[in-house]
Amino acid sequence: MVISRKPVAALAVSALLLSVAACGGGSSSSGKGGNDTAAGTKGGTLYYLTKRPTEHLDPTRTYIGRDIVDLNRTVYRSWVNYPVTSDDKAAAVPVADLATDTGTANSTNTQWSFTLKDGVKWQDGSAITCEDFKYGVSRNFATNLDGGPKYAVDYLDVPKNKDGTSTYQGPFKKTGQAAFDKAVSCKGNTITYKFNKPFPDFPLAIASLLIFNPFKQSQDQGEKSNYAIFANGPYKLQGKWNTTSGGTFVRNSQWDSKTDTIRKALPDQIVFTQGLTNEVINQRLISDSGKDQAAITDRAIPPAFYSQITGLVQKRSTLTDSPFVFYLTPNFNRMKNLKVRQALMAATNAVGQITAEGGSKAAKPAKTLINPTLVGYTPNPNFKYSASGDVAAAKKLLQSSGEKLPYPLKYTYQGGTPTSDKAASALAATWKAAGFKVTLDPLADTYYSVINKPTADGDVFNAGWGPDWPSSKTVLPPLFDSRTNLTADSNNSDYGNYRSDAVNKMIDAAANEPDLQKQGADYAAIDDKLGKDVAYIPLEIQRFYFLHGSKITGYQSGPATTYFADLGSIGVAK
Amino acid sequence: MTSPASELESHTRTSGDHSPDGTAVEQIAGRSPTQLAMFRFRKDKLSMAAFAIVAFYLIVGILAPLMVKFGVLDPFTNHSSAKFLDIEGGGIPKGFLGGVSLSHPLGLEPGIGRDVLSRLVLGITTSLAIALAATIVAVGVGTVLGIVSGFVGGFVDATIGRLIDLTLSFPQTLMLLSLSGLAVATLIKIGVPAGDLANGIYVTFVLGLFGWPPIARIVRGQVLSIREREFIEAARLMGAPRRRMYFKEVLPNLWAPLLVYFTLTMPAYISAEAALSFLGVGVKPPTPTLGNILTDSITYSQADFFFFFIPAFLIAVIVVSFNLLGDGIRDALDPRGAR
Repeated sequence: MVISRKPVAALAVSALLLSVAACGGGSSSSGKGGNDTAAGTKGGTLYYLTKRPTEHLDPTRTYIGRDIVDLNRTVYRSWVNYPVTSDDKAAAVPVADLATDTGTANSTNTQWSFTLKDGVKWQDGSAITCEDFKYGVSRNFATNLDGGPKYAVDYLDVPKNKDGTSTYQGPFKKTGQAAFDKAVSCKGNTITYKFNKPFPDFPLAIASLLIFNPFKQSQDQGEKSNYAIFANGPYKLQGKWNTTSGGTFVRNSQWDSKTDTIRKALPDQIVFTQGLTNEVINQRLISDSGKDQAAITDRAIPPAFYSQITGLVQKRSTLTDSPFVFYLTPNFNRMKNLKVRQALMAATNAVGQITAEGGSKAAKPAKTLINPTLVGYTPNPNFKYSASGDVAAAKKLLQSSGEKLPYPLKYTYQGGTPTSDKAASALAATWKAAGFKVTLDPLADTYYSVINKPTADGDVFNAGWGPDWPSSKTVLPPLFDSRTNLTADSNNSDYGNYRSDAVNKMIDAAANEPDLQKQGADYAAIDDKLGKDVAYIPLEIQRFYFLHGSKITGYQSGPATTYFADLGSIGVAK
Repeated sequence: MTSPASELESHTRTSGDHSPDGTAVEQIAGRSPTQLAMFRFRKDKLSMAAFAIVAFYLIVGILAPLMVKFGVLDPFTNHSSAKFLDIEGGGIPKGFLGGVSLSHPLGLEPGIGRDVLSRLVLGITTSLAIALAATIVAVGVGTVLGIVSGFVGGFVDATIGRLIDLTLSFPQTLMLLSLSGLAVATLIKIGVPAGDLANGIYVTFVLGLFGWPPIARIVRGQVLSIREREFIEAARLMGAPRRRMYFKEVLPNLWAPLLVYFTLTMPAYISAEAALSFLGVGVKPPTPTLGNILTDSITYSQADFFFFFIPAFLIAVIVVSFNLLGDGIRDALDPRGAR
């Protein structure tokens, strides 16, 4: 998923060791099933302090990792979901939620069906139906509901027009409805999805995104539903969502814990406060007074505060890897010489950038864009140089490139904070030493909308990406498939304007591979080809170093919640 | 200054300067008002101290780029290895007071390990350059419009008066913030090299173009009284052209208030540059300014207090010194106003 369309400093996770230790008594995984253990006290108000305002609450349009997991654990349910557990392995395997089981596929994985549980209701007391699920998927085809991922349009077996758009125009226009009805059909309480290619990891997609969620047609106001929540989970929105300051979730009386074995739903209320700076949030959590004792956040501790994280404060901190990988993309419209790109790769000092961002608690060096938790992860052999940069090797490569030296290099990056500027200076130092003439070009307010123009004049850009669900399918194709990315006026997520027919072919072959393990190997091969071309240079895996208040119980974060705090397990002590 | 200026000075000022002190009168005999002012200024110890500090800053500011060129200062080399920084502890420099040592007398920057002293010294250059340029723009525009407004009067005066009101009523900081992206892009389009120069010019011009109204008002007031003097009358009778009247007859009589305003506007712009850096407008790192160093250091106020204290202290000292100097000059030039 997109880590952010705005400047982001947060990073993320790993040592679950620490988070378990931090939980104190009773939060261990043995207390499953909603037992009222010491760590599982019901009641109280949980406060969620954050910086970036939520852009969408509409399930079809949400694409920010934090928002997806928060909504998944509180107000929205779907066929399947990730379990609430501190066991990382188990947390990554979806379990039944609104469905009776985790779904049945045909032998080629091109058709999936799910059956609805009895007794599940919307917040107004009406029963959730199979038709609600069908309607929810149909909203993905509506062109006016932007923001969300487009997997439903891509995968469902609805014929496409010549220009690649779907013949079905969504539930508002209804053009091509018959074709959609064939692809998604309800029979009693059982839905059947038909796909145009194998979709072996469909349950992962359902659990990781909100686009396959049910949506009640009578509640749909199109674009006006962006900040509306019609809940079927344990909480519902109280009043209206304030787009700048946040909102409050209260208990949904129509939710029946008997139908929901996943969410513990301990606090009576969850108050979201957005628009605070990282410094303010973390200073409040360090002070731990009043309501902040029952507060959590998704904003990492700024390095300047590390020295204060000791003793009791340290017990309230968690440090884990995140799924987000940061990388550099050479601009193929400008850096056409392979040797120059290789020199850039060799001279890149990821360690310098990580140190500037706070060291090993902020990030760790990455050897590929594919996260180590994904099937088929192999360190990319092409990125063989030291993570601190190999200036001597880079010099040799640059000198053999035949270009005039020093080679001018404009580095356009997401900047505007002292940390990001220092990180860029750290990278620039070794590039300069290798023979590049570096110009730093920080962009503060708008970033991705500038660099995804094919006319952008930077030679190299930085970017971050996390998988939509644990599969390389949601990493490499969205970033490097030139057919879906490159148009006349935008390169979408292929910021380096990389175009390779060979890679496109390999992407198609991998997508049509029904076996997940073999598919993983296919993506590793694509990654190898990208490394040979230096289509990207991996920098770091972000880590999440988060604080929470002293009254928080059952704190955990893992793959199920992309390493953000798990609202399904957290409670507030009296 | 040019000799006609001092002549005119004496011409306009003789009526006002009587020393009540007998001995002083004896000593003063034969001295020009400029010499008198210098004499009074030298006696004012506080102002002399402020002057010394300001002069020191100016000299440092002028010499810094040379020192960087010849390698005496090194504001851009990173020392980010574990030898210098506590990598696990958020990149705080190792050692006493944020890494103070013989080779780095004011320590290192957290996270990247650049030499703080070098950055501050070069930061003084950029900050003073921006403040100086902005002050020249403000005083220049204010003086020209003030003279024209006061001398011509009538419709022109009214128009300039309303322009002053209009300029003062703009929410300056908000404009600076919201226009920065667009304005810098425009500057780059018309050929200003992108980066520090474009950012610096933007800050300079916006500070200057919003800073002229008070100066124009002062100047206009002075001109209103000057234009009634006999020497102006004489010039007019002799058929002097307008431009000569403005710049040869009126302007030399304004240098005293202008000098005072110049010295009082500078410190305001030094603080303004720091404040704008905090809001993300202005010259960006790695090029140091006092403002962007301070912005970075604020988050470290607890983890590395010395790193935060030094730029804050330098800015405070220079602003106070400039203000004291301005007050001192005013007192020296116009002793009636002071006591």
